[in-house]
Amino acid sequence: MSMNLQESPTTEGEVITNYTINFGPQHPAAHGVLRMVMELDGEVIERIDPHVGLLHRGTEKLIEHKTYLQALPYFDRLDYCSPLAMEHSYVLAIEKLLNLEVPLRAQYLRVLFAELTRICNHMLNMGAHILDVGAFTPNLWIMDLREDCLNFFERASGARMHSAWFRPGGVHQDVPEKLLVDIGDWLDNRFFQLFEDAMSLVMDNRIFKQRNVDIAVVSREDAIAWGFSGPMIRAAGLPWDLRKSQPYDVYDRMEFDIPVGTNSDCYDRFMVRVKEVYESAKIIRQCLRDMPGGPIASTDTKVVPPKRGEMKQSMEALIHHFKLYTEGFHVPAGEVYVATESPKGEFGVYLVSDGTNKPYRCKIRPTAFSHLQAMDFMSKGHMLPDATAILGAIDVVFGECDR
Amino acid sequence: MTVLHSAPKFASNEGVIEAVSETISVWLIEAIEAHGEVIFRVERDAVDKVLRILRDDHAYQQLMEIAGVDYPSRPERFEVVYMLQSLTKNHRVMVKCSASEDTPVPTVTTLWPNAGWLEREVFDMYGVTFAGNPDLRRILTDYGFEGHPFRKDFPMTGYTELRYSEEEKRVVYEPVVLAQEMRSFDFLSPWEGADYVLPGDEKSRGAPAVAEPKTTEKPADTGAGKKADEAAAKPVGGAAPAQKDSGKGAPGAPDPTSKEGGR
Repeated sequence: MSMNLQESPTTEGEVITNYTINFGPQHPAAHGVLRMVMELDGEVIERIDPHVGLLHRGTEKLIEHKTYLQALPYFDRLDYCSPLAMEHSYVLAIEKLLNLEVPLRAQYLRVLFAELTRICNHMLNMGAHILDVGAFTPNLWIMDLREDCLNFFERASGARMHSAWFRPGGVHQDVPEKLLVDIGDWLDNRFFQLFEDAMSLVMDNRIFKQRNVDIAVVSREDAIAWGFSGPMIRAAGLPWDLRKSQPYDVYDRMEFDIPVGTNSDCYDRFMVRVKEVYESAKIIRQCLRDMPGGPIASTDTKVVPPKRGEMKQSMEALIHHFKLYTEGFHVPAGEVYVATESPKGEFGVYLVSDGTNKPYRCKIRPTAFSHLQAMDFMSKGHMLPDATAILGAIDVVFGECDR
Repeated sequence: MTVLHSAPKFASNEGVIEAVSETISVWLIEAIEAHGEVIFRVERDAVDKVLRILRDDHAYQQLMEIAGVDYPSRPERFEVVYMLQSLTKNHRVMVKCSASEDTPVPTVTTLWPNAGWLEREVFDMYGVTFAGNPDLRRILTDYGFEGHPFRKDFPMTGYTELRYSEEEKRVVYEPVVLAQEMRSFDFLSPWEGADYVLPGDEKSRGAPAVAEPKTTEKPADTGAGKKADEAAAKPVGGAAPAQKDSGKGAPGAPDPTSKEGGR
């Protein structure tokens, strides 16, 4: 309980005490285990002190004790809403240290699935955001679409969520031709009907707008200074997208637009995500159209394990298989910082190698950390229920934030 | 080196080192370009000045990340690495300085407001302090946590574990008890410079050198002595007797029910 007494203009001289409440750590709108100590003046937020780290598992320390390949599945468990996007930064960081060429088909497959992950992530986030501000139906509808995406992941990798499918040098296994056909078919015949239906319920909805328009307006200067990225910086009107400005894999071959906001409020952040889904679909269609045949992983046998059949036939391949799955490959000493555009913003991996088979240090740059830190200044002067809208628009996932 | 990888391609590093080095030469220790990354190693006390120059004069507007790294063998064991990004030049650089536990690094919260949490994290994980940070609390570890878990000498299992105690009806902290020793597999090839001793190989290292190396020129030098008498090797008597069947059956299971009945 705060001891700060002050005169309030609304209560005609009656003195109201500021009070402090706990938002979370067990709160359905906290999107995980977030504890926010809020100082309120009536229902107006004076100060927020977010306490993070309740899901801290020491991932970075665990990674230091694993070989490069063994560390990969930890990335799925960071942002468990967009697992493949997390793997993307990590494999690119390893490839950058190794200077390893990835075959074109693997690059296309990665981009295709990274965009599918983006759709999958936005389905969850937008649904949760809408739910947080009071509408129930759209969440149920688009959760169904997310389920479709997860089924595609399962068909490609065998796992719905924790795919571990992107590997240093390419992807783990090729996808069946039918899967690519089905993804195209899904986009053409199912996805947009349902998605547009769901969005039509909220985009021009009076209540939804009242809850989001002009909430947590952040100026361009603030967005830059606070290290914003992803939809948060684009909603502020900056057309900054790492896929465009610092292209990786085959993003430089893709044609797509960067949606930006004009007002930099929660509604803009939401709408940027809606538009991004359309752009992702564009990229997926281009991938399906242009994807060449060929190998799906680098042919460097010192990094990429041999195919199963080969391993049964060739002594050389058997030795490589054994060495890669016990000792693992060695990465030249050095350090790189590789950041990709995850659905939530810039997801970076700072990888320090000492030349052995294990990373010396693997620092993960979560997107949510900078955004959540700005929670205090974004919420100041807003009402208590606005905090959930702001949180929903940040798109925070604690697996990634707390690592 | 030709670039083969497909990692993010930002603007060229050409000329960046020269242009930046000129303006920060007073504090610059070395400037490296390796693996496509530009790294400036600067003096610790001037980190804030260097970063201010990079932000204001070289248009690196965003501070994306601050990473701590621990190198226990160095005199100043920690490294603090700042990742900067320029939105206008589409370029990234890293700035790093070394630090130890008792040498605070000047804060950059005055330059970027988001440095606050990033510095808190480095402090929490490594124990590096930041002079001038107004709110240097722990951030990721538990309330009341002791130690700095990402240091290389901090065990991966930690020192305490917590559980819900049914007797006390609350969560209790206890020292870590491992049912078996923590296993850390090291798959480094022993032929390629692994620095441990293989089992059975203990004597090979550090054995004192002998003045006269032992040689075995003649059979007598082997120390095996004379060949044993061939007659002694002959078997005596017949083979061992076969196991005889005593004729008794193995004790079977008792009858299902006895007349007297059980208890």
